[in-house]
Amino acid sequence: MNKIIKKPELLAPAGDLERLKIAIKYGADAVYVGGINFGLRANATNFNLDELKEGIEFAHKYSKKVYVTVNIVLHNKEIENLLSYLKDLERINVDAIIVSDPAIIKIARENTSLEIHLSTQQSCLNVESAKFFKSEGVSRIVLARETTKEDIKAIIDNVGIEIECFAHGAMCASYSGRCVLSNFLTSRDSNRGGCSQICRWDFDLKTDEQKYLIGEKPFTFCTKDLSLLKYIPEMINMGVSSFKLEGRMRSIYYVATIVSTYRKVIDEYCSNPEHYEYNSNYEKILMNCANRDSVVQFFDGIYDESCQYYNGRIEVSNQDFLGVVLGYDTNKKQVLLEQRNYFKKGDIVEFFGPNTAPFTFEIDKIIDETDCEIDIVRHPRQVVKIPISKELEVDSMMRIKR
Amino acid sequence: MPKKIIIPNSLEMIKKLINKVDGFIIGIKELSTNLPFYVDDLESTISFIKESNKEIFVSLNKNIHNSDLPLLKEILLKLEELNVTGVIYYDASIVNLKKELNLNINLVWGQEHMTTNYLTANYWNSLGIEFMLVSNEITIDEIIEISKKTNMKLMVQLFGYIPIFNSRRHLVKNYLKTFDLDDADSYFIEKEGKSYSIVDDNNGTTVYSANILNGIGEYLKLMKNNIEYIILNSYEIKTEQFEKIVELFNSVSENNVDSYVETIDDMFGNIDRGFLYTETVYKVKNNE
Repeated sequence: MNKIIKKPELLAPAGDLERLKIAIKYGADAVYVGGINFGLRANATNFNLDELKEGIEFAHKYSKKVYVTVNIVLHNKEIENLLSYLKDLERINVDAIIVSDPAIIKIARENTSLEIHLSTQQSCLNVESAKFFKSEGVSRIVLARETTKEDIKAIIDNVGIEIECFAHGAMCASYSGRCVLSNFLTSRDSNRGGCSQICRWDFDLKTDEQKYLIGEKPFTFCTKDLSLLKYIPEMINMGVSSFKLEGRMRSIYYVATIVSTYRKVIDEYCSNPEHYEYNSNYEKILMNCANRDSVVQFFDGIYDESCQYYNGRIEVSNQDFLGVVLGYDTNKKQVLLEQRNYFKKGDIVEFFGPNTAPFTFEIDKIIDETDCEIDIVRHPRQVVKIPISKELEVDSMMRIKR
Repeated sequence: MPKKIIIPNSLEMIKKLINKVDGFIIGIKELSTNLPFYVDDLESTISFIKESNKEIFVSLNKNIHNSDLPLLKEILLKLEELNVTGVIYYDASIVNLKKELNLNINLVWGQEHMTTNYLTANYWNSLGIEFMLVSNEITIDEIIEISKKTNMKLMVQLFGYIPIFNSRRHLVKNYLKTFDLDDADSYFIEKEGKSYSIVDDNNGTTVYSANILNGIGEYLKLMKNNIEYIILNSYEIKTEQFEKIVELFNSVSENNVDSYVETIDDMFGNIDRGFLYTETVYKVKNNE
């Protein structure tokens, strides 16, 4: 097979302007973001129109795209402002909106020139449903996460529409849109951006005879994360148009790591499909970054107990991410770094950047802002200088070497 | 006066209540979810109900996978022939198949937690859909506003447990298998003193609300606002208690409504008004 000319899109999450820029710098072809209104992550930072405009201008400068989620479950009181919001999105040159409600699809189609993608919230799983939404005017369908590879192939082969698949990140335990646990347990509306992730809570499981069924770990709905890294070549061959990475509320380190890793796999495969070899080291990088187990979920048709995550609520926050590069002094040959996690002299670390492949480095000197040498960097966001001969670009990152 | 449609929990209940209600919602295990029971013989059950001139809605409300499509087509053709009152759909494939197969059946927009506003109702109505099964997560005022601004016939649940979670995964079976625990006939999950019924069947897992919705206090208001149907769900309710509920809904009036509210409240320990008066929180923090 020759080189693949039309590469699929790599679509990254961007919770705010900083993460949008990081995602694009690290290789995303497009990012998806939530606006202040009408999105499903009301508790993420989200973008106001000015920030959105700035993000779009930044992305377009790099010939990248920005999609905005308009996938809220509408209530009556929001209807009045919907059209003007869509017009605003059109005015600031949003590349597409991601919508679940067919009434919003119709309004956008009839009143704007916005491209429309069907949100996974509509849980499109089959050929007939895909045909329906194609006829309603969407140009792309984000498939339900419950689709198997056979489902994905059948929809691509029989419907003739761009298909976007989730490739990496956290999963809902339910079909998207069919969970209101959050509404009933915390009064926060899961389908309107308020999801309080009840599926990660522990529960006591009991029978109708009040007998408690107690395992080594408590009952939970919680599932492992999704990772289809290994299957990217197969999915490219199936005709998947876009690979979606989940995580609008994740850190810049997470965004940079998953984007750059998937970027490499897509590029390596497309540039030489015949001789492509899967690099399992990439898997380790992703694993260390997320600190959660991941599996292929429904893609292989197996969604049994191996997909569940019984961790008894013990979840260690990621401390691999040590710092982000603010600048590089070419005269002194030292990097200016903002701390994100504790590190010290003698640590073996790894730097990677938007255009810099990971390389290993031992920290042998740390200088603080008063030009004094220190041994430990323990203060959050402390700015320090580290002598290093290799020049590093802004937004490069330093992580612990594992 | 709104028609009273029940979600029965057995064939016996259908037989017992057939002369006391206006219709039934039933389903089959292959294509339906969130129902207390599934009928084996759709044809004879429908014939029985139709003999009494009662309305019958068939809920084909599961998320439809490609592998479900052949059976779905077959069942839709059969339901057209049996001339049911309506077919409740969650998945848009049913709307597409109605068009492709040129089926003469009425559809009910039943996308569970998404049937929350008049704009989307009017959209589906413009495609010829006449019924809307209203979300349980909106307030009575929102329901009334929808009824005023759409031509859809509204169906509003006023009694019973509410399905609040639906997954393809076998969450109970997975847990029991992982920790090598014995299975049982039925299960509950418990949190902060509240128990939620959890059902793990062929289609996956459903969780129900901890509390029973008692909306009889709003029946007359809905009647005045021309709501066509109210739904009473018998899931996990004892037959004799459910018969009493039907009786109360059949005789509620301005004179007795307050005492009826109390009567139902007193029948069950775990009862509330759902979201009929309480808006859920949209945003916890404001970004603006």
